[in-house]
Amino acid sequence: MTRSALSLLFCASIAAVHAQGLDPAMLLKAAPDSWPTYHGDYTGQRHSKLTQITPDNVRQLTLSWAFQTGQAAQIKASPILVNGIIYVTTPDNMWAIDARSGRQIWRYTHPKNEGFHIGHRGAAIYKDFVYLTTPDARLVALDARDGKVRWNVEIEDARRGFWSTMAPLVVRNHLIVGVSGDFDNLPGTLKSFDPETGKVQWTFYSTPPPGTAGAISGGATGGQMWITGTYDPELNLVYVGTGNPTPVLNGPVRPGDNPWTCSILALNPDTGTLAWGFQASPHDTHDWDAAEVPVLIDAPFNGQPRKLLLQASRNGYFFVLDRTTGKNLLTTPFAAANWAQEIDKDGRPVPDPAKEPARDGRLVAPNEGGGTNYRSPSFDPKTGTLIVSAVDGYGIYFFKEEHGDYGWAGADYGVYSKGFLRAIDYQTGKLRWQHDIGSGSGAGVLTTDSGLTFTGDSTGNLLALRTSDGTTLWHSAIGGVGNGPITYELDGRQFMVVGGGGVLYSFALPEQPRSTQSSR
Amino acid sequence: MLTSIVVLFTLAQAPTASPAAPAPQRPSQASPAAQSTPKRASNETYPAEQVRAGATMFAAQCGFCHGRDATGGQTGPDLTRSTLVAEDARGDKIIPVVRTGRPDKGMPPFNLSDADLAALVAFIHDQQIKAESQQGGRRAVDESDLQTGDARAGQAFFNGAGGCARCHSPSGDLADVAARLKGLELLQRMLYPSGRGGARTPAKATVTLASGQAITGRLAYRDEFLIAIKDAEGWQRSWRTSDVKVTIDDPLEAHAALLPKYTDTDMHNVLAYLQTLRQAVKP
Repeated sequence: MTRSALSLLFCASIAAVHAQGLDPAMLLKAAPDSWPTYHGDYTGQRHSKLTQITPDNVRQLTLSWAFQTGQAAQIKASPILVNGIIYVTTPDNMWAIDARSGRQIWRYTHPKNEGFHIGHRGAAIYKDFVYLTTPDARLVALDARDGKVRWNVEIEDARRGFWSTMAPLVVRNHLIVGVSGDFDNLPGTLKSFDPETGKVQWTFYSTPPPGTAGAISGGATGGQMWITGTYDPELNLVYVGTGNPTPVLNGPVRPGDNPWTCSILALNPDTGTLAWGFQASPHDTHDWDAAEVPVLIDAPFNGQPRKLLLQASRNGYFFVLDRTTGKNLLTTPFAAANWAQEIDKDGRPVPDPAKEPARDGRLVAPNEGGGTNYRSPSFDPKTGTLIVSAVDGYGIYFFKEEHGDYGWAGADYGVYSKGFLRAIDYQTGKLRWQHDIGSGSGAGVLTTDSGLTFTGDSTGNLLALRTSDGTTLWHSAIGGVGNGPITYELDGRQFMVVGGGGVLYSFALPEQPRSTQSSR
Repeated sequence: MLTSIVVLFTLAQAPTASPAAPAPQRPSQASPAAQSTPKRASNETYPAEQVRAGATMFAAQCGFCHGRDATGGQTGPDLTRSTLVAEDARGDKIIPVVRTGRPDKGMPPFNLSDADLAALVAFIHDQQIKAESQQGGRRAVDESDLQTGDARAGQAFFNGAGGCARCHSPSGDLADVAARLKGLELLQRMLYPSGRGGARTPAKATVTLASGQAITGRLAYRDEFLIAIKDAEGWQRSWRTSDVKVTIDDPLEAHAALLPKYTDTDMHNVLAYLQTLRQAVKP
């Protein structure tokens, strides 16, 4: 047998073994019968090309199935779907569910642990491995067929205060995983693991620990990368947002801008080296992560075709960057914000020192929850709008020396908030429309090519709106919606799957009676 | 488009859910941090081992909202200053809250074993005992921190630019406000009275049916699709918003409208003025 025949045979056997898994190359062009990553694809647009459900027929949308997790925990995750199997998570749990019926195939439960059980963003899949990050900051690789543990490695030491909620990002043979940890002064840490073995390939620090080369953060720790990034295969750059600095509310102890906290970063996925960074909130003292999804679009800006990055950031500002260079093109508020003095020449809002937390309190917008938060926005290409769950909120922020310089190091209290779904014109930052969603945060967003926007309000209604003007076309009171719905087509039928409270719901148009189908 | 704000009123100490729908993930709008640690009803102490187990359990299940040390977090109140904790004896008040949650304030129910619940109770009490003996250095706002305003300027804002005098009177509803509310709690309620302490000031809704009949009552619930009021006899009645005409009279809208207008100096001045109102003036 010749060498090439051997290697052909080898390739064929690999293909056979992984016929039911996910070839990472598929992520470059996600098939309509899948939602193979947290964002559905690498762009983070959460926009589907599917058009079976339309503004005209959406009022017929009906329940296909409901999957009961039996958990009190709200599903905040985006499910993923590959080969007819949905994988959905809550802290410590992953379920594999038949996407046609909503029936459980297997469930993995992580051993009881001391980590923070705040929420979970979702799973990732590579070949026949599926991955879960855990409250005790571990990365667990499961066999996608039966949920058996393949390996289980530490991402970071949970005893130091790290935890992880993140849906890992798969780029070729890299599994990129971030952590959280706001209550301790911990370096912002992102790691790439070998998806087959769990070995660490590289570690990137947004706030390099003292003594590390390039310790540039001015005494700040933090800057955790806790939301799944996006990826441009042409530039071979991964984009991630970083969280707030620690100590959180104590600004004086960490003078300067504190890079790269509250920033949008471009990293090489093969090496973890920084290509460029843009700081959305220099010297943050209000817990305003810039971890929100960096949405990638290829579209004209001022008449010129460009590779753009859009972010509606927790600090209340909307940013447009050139994602090749990191150069800022637009900075404009999309939610109530009273904390910046001006926008500097690089497009960064400059914090007003008078709005830093103080002994007698400062009235600041946004509040701690921010102008937006983990809930993914959606970009609709036809209307050129980024549609985002926004909050106009006010909080009072306190800091005095007695609060110290560890962890939170201050106190803040929400005063008032009002939620809107807002459609932001990506070229001007102006609002095309807004839709009132109640007194708090809504949900993540999905748009489809038929001109529909799916999201949730703050009282537990799932909404279908007309993307062009925000008019409500359909709703269902399913309970608190966390992240936005996902959508896919199976057996010729478009499904929309979304968490409401602790239940995963699947909606579709009514099935045609069989006789009607066969007579066609 | 679409709908006006959903107004939810909750009483911090109310053990049951408000009639409004559960509002997941909404941060509690008020914190008891302005209060000093309440006097504890029981002098019970707990075994160190149980406290340690409770600390672990608390960090994992409760820490994100209430802080790992139970002194409050981004969405949950400081339990070391909680009256409910102070009045609790071996879990008789804490355990029911943990089991059923407070869905109206975003707290989910927890399904824990009796041993875990007992450990949680032990840890929370232990933290409250420590808090009594350790007031300094904590994440708290003391009344003495909030004394930077000018009462005279605050009075001028109250009667003038702030428009407060349109609804409030220093010799009427606010005559003894500084005796009733102090420190952070007074500041929070001044900015937006979301229901802690003092009298509730609920919004009223008038629902006009297709027949022309108008029904007025306390606003119990509103979202884009449903309006509900509590009628004079205490029954909650609801309608589809598409079927009726709704008018809301919410006196708190004036507080919300003031938030973008306040300077920090205005805020501290009005607080200073309110702090002078200690005596009910009988006409």
